[in-house]
Amino acid sequence: MGEVIVVTSGKGGVGKTTTSANIGTGLAKLGKSVILIDTDIGLRNLDVVMGLENRIVYNLVDVIEGNCRIKQAAIKDKKYNNLYLLPSAQTRDKTSVNQEQMKKLTSDLKEKFDYIILDCPAGIEQGFKNAIAGADRALIVTTPEVSAIRDADRIIGLLEANDIKKMDLIINRLRMDMVKRGDMMSIDDVVDILSIDIIGALPDDENIVISTNHGEPIVGTNCVSGKAYMNICRRILGESIPYLDLNSNKGFFSKLTSIFKSN
Amino acid sequence: MSTSVVIKGNQYGIIVLLDNDMPFQQLKRIVASKFKEASHFFKKANMAITFEGRQLTLLEEKELIDIISENSSIQVICLLDNDKENEQHYKETLKDRLNALTNSYGQFYKGNLISGQVLESEKSIVVIGDVLTGAKIISSGNVIIIGTLKGTVYAGVTGDESSYIAALDMDPLQIRIGDILAKSSRKRMNQYDTDTQAKIAFVEDDYICMETLYTDLLE
Repeated sequence: MGEVIVVTSGKGGVGKTTTSANIGTGLAKLGKSVILIDTDIGLRNLDVVMGLENRIVYNLVDVIEGNCRIKQAAIKDKKYNNLYLLPSAQTRDKTSVNQEQMKKLTSDLKEKFDYIILDCPAGIEQGFKNAIAGADRALIVTTPEVSAIRDADRIIGLLEANDIKKMDLIINRLRMDMVKRGDMMSIDDVVDILSIDIIGALPDDENIVISTNHGEPIVGTNCVSGKAYMNICRRILGESIPYLDLNSNKGFFSKLTSIFKSN
Repeated sequence: MSTSVVIKGNQYGIIVLLDNDMPFQQLKRIVASKFKEASHFFKKANMAITFEGRQLTLLEEKELIDIISENSSIQVICLLDNDKENEQHYKETLKDRLNALTNSYGQFYKGNLISGQVLESEKSIVVIGDVLTGAKIISSGNVIIIGTLKGTVYAGVTGDESSYIAALDMDPLQIRIGDILAKSSRKRMNQYDTDTQAKIAFVEDDYICMETLYTDLLE
């Protein structure tokens, strides 16, 4: 029986799609069978981040309307045979799908996959309601900014009201230099405000931007973000792993040159 | 009153039911007398006639029509064929011919197609404009784009693998001709290829081939 995880945030642009892509790929790397579902109907972009946009023939709305089977719509990943993507529709909108249909879809998929990861759209209306309809647990993504935290707080309230008890926090785009200066909230500050368990923290890394532009998820690679995402995947599987030190490791020479650069 | 010939009709047409077993010469005489009797009923009408109940040769049909014209003032405009087999045969021929005709006509679309727009047509399509990434064209015939193709095109969607896709700047996300799909090997970051030539994509040996357009190719 699979587990249905919804990756949500409330606020847009905090890193839900990137996180869904990387967690899905990470879990597939660790040997699990995973299907990623893009539930953002009309503004699909999980396919772009996964690098599979030129393979789309059918999409989620086609499956739900019965125009095709799940097998025809699901796209196998380029690298991992146990990872699939069910893309969203580009030409419809969020009213094309309802909660009952999503529940049925996710329960069908639970029998075939170990993990079903739903990339939730921003907001709290129909798109959000569709995405959380069949979920067993939620991963809430936020950045350490006041506006994102307020929206995440609202989302937590809505999830509890919808009986999703298992919630974990991912803090994205941390800049440790700003945290040290006191210009940005630290991990502890965020956890204090939201009062849910944290499952991972990610730095504001250029490599993530490059990886999404190329359509190659960064999880498992040697940089800090890659390692951090892999740790999150391991924690999802139940392992307990110490948190990485997110301070950027500068060698002596680069510290020297940075003194001359910043006047 | 013999029922070997029964005339059934309305203002515009007559069905003549003929007995199957009676020898033809005898039948002719009965047809003649029947029509003579009914002549003032039909008067000078223009009628369509159908013969039923008996397989007639073309010659026999002609003889009967002549008899009808001699014995009444009916003008036989045409003879309707009720044969189901013939009907099916004509229907299919007509369908094929019409298909061939519609394939040689196309539709125009003026303007750019942007992300999220879908253009569907049963005929061939000529787009005067660009097809941007995220736009889709679906056609049962050929697709010709007078501009840049960056989106998705499905040509010959009803199974016609002789369809082709042509564009001035061919850089599609995905193309499909008939049942054969080809995806772009486009590298993500922009590579400005200033030397673009008009290209055409078509099916050969179950693969989609893309070639620069030149006159000989089109023959």
